[in-house]
Amino acid sequence: MTPATFRIGLLFSSTGPYAVVARSMLNGALLAVDEFNAASGGPRLEAVVVNPGGELSRYSELSADLLQSGIRHVVGCYTSSSRKEVIPVFEKHDALLWYPSHYEGFETSGNVVYTGAAPNQHILPLIEHMTTLAGNRVYCVGSNYIWAWENNRIMREAITARGGQVVAERYLPVGETDVTKSVEEILALRPDFIFNTLIGNSAYQFLRALRLACAARGLDQPAVLPVASCSLSEPELEEIGPEAVDGHFSSSVYFATVESSANRRFLDAYAAAYPNGPTLSADAEASYVAVAILGRALEAAGTDAIEPVRAVVPQIALEAPQGPVRIDPATMHAYLTPRIGRSTRDGRFDVVMAASAPIAPDPYLVQSTPRFAVAPKPSHLRLVQ
Amino acid sequence: MTGPRILQNFSGGTVHLVAADPRAADALASTLVKFGVDLRVVPLVDGKAALDLAALREDRDVLVVDGDLDLPLDLAGGAGETFPVVPVIGLIGVEAPSRLKALMQIGATAFLRKPIHGAAVYSALFMGINGFLRRRYLETRLEDHERRRRGRRFVIKAIVNLMHRAGIDDDQAYAILRRESMRRRVSIEDYCTTLLRAGTGDDAGPEQVPAARRSAQHE
Repeated sequence: MTPATFRIGLLFSSTGPYAVVARSMLNGALLAVDEFNAASGGPRLEAVVVNPGGELSRYSELSADLLQSGIRHVVGCYTSSSRKEVIPVFEKHDALLWYPSHYEGFETSGNVVYTGAAPNQHILPLIEHMTTLAGNRVYCVGSNYIWAWENNRIMREAITARGGQVVAERYLPVGETDVTKSVEEILALRPDFIFNTLIGNSAYQFLRALRLACAARGLDQPAVLPVASCSLSEPELEEIGPEAVDGHFSSSVYFATVESSANRRFLDAYAAAYPNGPTLSADAEASYVAVAILGRALEAAGTDAIEPVRAVVPQIALEAPQGPVRIDPATMHAYLTPRIGRSTRDGRFDVVMAASAPIAPDPYLVQSTPRFAVAPKPSHLRLVQ
Repeated sequence: MTGPRILQNFSGGTVHLVAADPRAADALASTLVKFGVDLRVVPLVDGKAALDLAALREDRDVLVVDGDLDLPLDLAGGAGETFPVVPVIGLIGVEAPSRLKALMQIGATAFLRKPIHGAAVYSALFMGINGFLRRRYLETRLEDHERRRRGRRFVIKAIVNLMHRAGIDDDQAYAILRRESMRRRVSIEDYCTTLLRAGTGDDAGPEQVPAARRSAQHE
């Protein structure tokens, strides 16, 4: 018999260094819980919310607490490092983590369902767009951790395959706000575009400093030195401030400006439930999608035991705010619709490119990267004597 | 030394599994599909893998061999250092030196513990295949260096011949031979060996000697 209530965990750092995005994710998840409970004639979801405060060690402790209390499904984590931290706990308890954020791929865990974008759904469309629009000389700047390292590797592979060049690859410590050297170097090297994998305050300060430095030289930064990213989202645009907010490219499977009736309903419901924000983000939508699919899977399976749930998950087709979403049974990643947005002065994204249909996830990029890694550029010197 | 290029996308490859425990196949199959890699379970006949090692594709196939089996591969060199022509990943159950040695002897360059954990498979493939490519690259280089070492005596002979014939010192003779070998895009050892074998005694020597000699005298 199907239980009357399924308890699920929500694990988001609603305080701490990336609280803005995490709070929007928590809100997205809670909204889906409320909608599921309002619509379901069957079982209800009861959300148990925990907050690790952005501290890595707290993630595994709180996950263990949730799972030891009998919960089998937890939606949560934003950073890859926090996901890596909790996966052993989920494997030990044989529970499912529903990970609702875009990430760098190259992971396989039977105890995770991924509802955010895999690299073929964010960075590859971005490379395609930027090389067509701006050219194939790119300057890479990022925060010094796995997200930036792996995305820059993929960028280098793709750019080199196109006959282009990574003119420099620079890393700043996470949280660093002194971006002067990178800005000066960019102005000296004049790449066709900048690939920004900085996160949080480093990213906001970089965008402000670059805009200011360009203005001082009479350069129209978005036109001359456009900046592209796979993580810049609406709540972050507000943090950048009005002077430097516009003209930045972001690759994402969801923007609040997506035109669809499902998205209009989502926007209205979110605004009604959370009038004080934070603004919706792609990761908030992925969190909403994760809970929506989880609720339907629990209802269909009639149990929260993970094997029956995993078995029914791929059969669920969701009309999500971004469009149709379903889970690929082989990878347990989602079919999603890539889009490119360009930020506007009012802190939104104009969608300038969208795939015509959801594309299959390829977390290991087996369909899209060369067999061999790119070799270092050969020297043009030759022995002449 | 730059070494061989790193292979990172295994799509289109096949893993041939030599193991007695069917659970290993289940665990591998569900993970390999994510990498675009096929799995073929090799039947065991009297404890030996029913597998034609010579038919394996050097650039696409990988062997995963259970270290708890007793010498399941029929390698020509017996217990010596004859390795299959494809990368080998060892499955480790009993962690005893004899079992580990057996895997070393068939050329394993990466390991997976039993029971197989899906999250470890990509790393094992990556390390196993690239370790194999690096070993093969080093073997090829070593072989090349050995061949060149054997040719050094011909270089010395050719230098001496040229010194006598052209009346130049050893450095000048070496420079001429080196330049000629580079022009012909062969190693100096190969060039000198060919030169001496083709020629008869002191007559052997590069065609450009007079010009080279004049050049040397003007320095």
